[in-house]
Amino acid sequence: MTSFVIAAVAMLVALVPAGIIIARGTAADAVIGFEFITSVAVMVFALLAEGFKRPSLFEFPVLVAMLLLGSGLVFVRALERWL
Amino acid sequence: MIRQVVTDVLLALAVLTVAASAIGLVVMPDAYSRLHYVTPAAVVAPVLVALGIFVAEGLDENTGETVLALVFMIAAAPFLSHATIRAIRVREAGDWRGHPPGEDTGNQPGNQPGNQPGNQPGNQPGNQPGDQRSDDDATAKGPQ
Repeated sequence: MTSFVIAAVAMLVALVPAGIIIARGTAADAVIGFEFITSVAVMVFALLAEGFKRPSLFEFPVLVAMLLLGSGLVFVRALERWL
Repeated sequence: MIRQVVTDVLLALAVLTVAASAIGLVVMPDAYSRLHYVTPAAVVAPVLVALGIFVAEGLDENTGETVLALVFMIAAAPFLSHATIRAIRVREAGDWRGHPPGEDTGNQPGNQPGNQPGNQPGNQPGNQPGDQRSDDDATAKGPQ
């Protein structure tokens, strides 16, 4: 297990507080937790791709990072208008 | 060997940044404060991860794709934070300015009570914007 995989697992553990916020907080807190999880997920995918030496999997963090802004704005808009 | 150590240090710093942000997310009392702790996880930690991959791999296509993801994240973070704060403000106050649109604030030219028909007792044709005295005040004062 390389240091990249260890870092990815540690970051996944750090997602637990964000999950608690999403489960127990208000709608605004949940959107903030979602943004946090999305940001960390990009790093986790990159770390796993590097840790397991799979160059093809490096496209996944790029894709998630591209979708981060769009999905975040969709949730924010929903929060502003309907939630 | 040196490369391995530098990579490990960079990854450890990234993990510490994310862990501290996660703790801050839980500890802070309201959404405005919590949003501050998304920024280190969305901007600082990805830079450290990209640097770690760069040190380990050198300049190759893996590093390039990581930097591309990093650029997208850094570009998206401020827009997302601003939009989130704005949405929370709209939910709480009805408008991002802090008051619903059209509501009288009393401190802007052209938005004075005296300019709106029927709002104030002193709403006479001769009143100027900003002149909020009622008729009683004007008569009590008498001619100057």
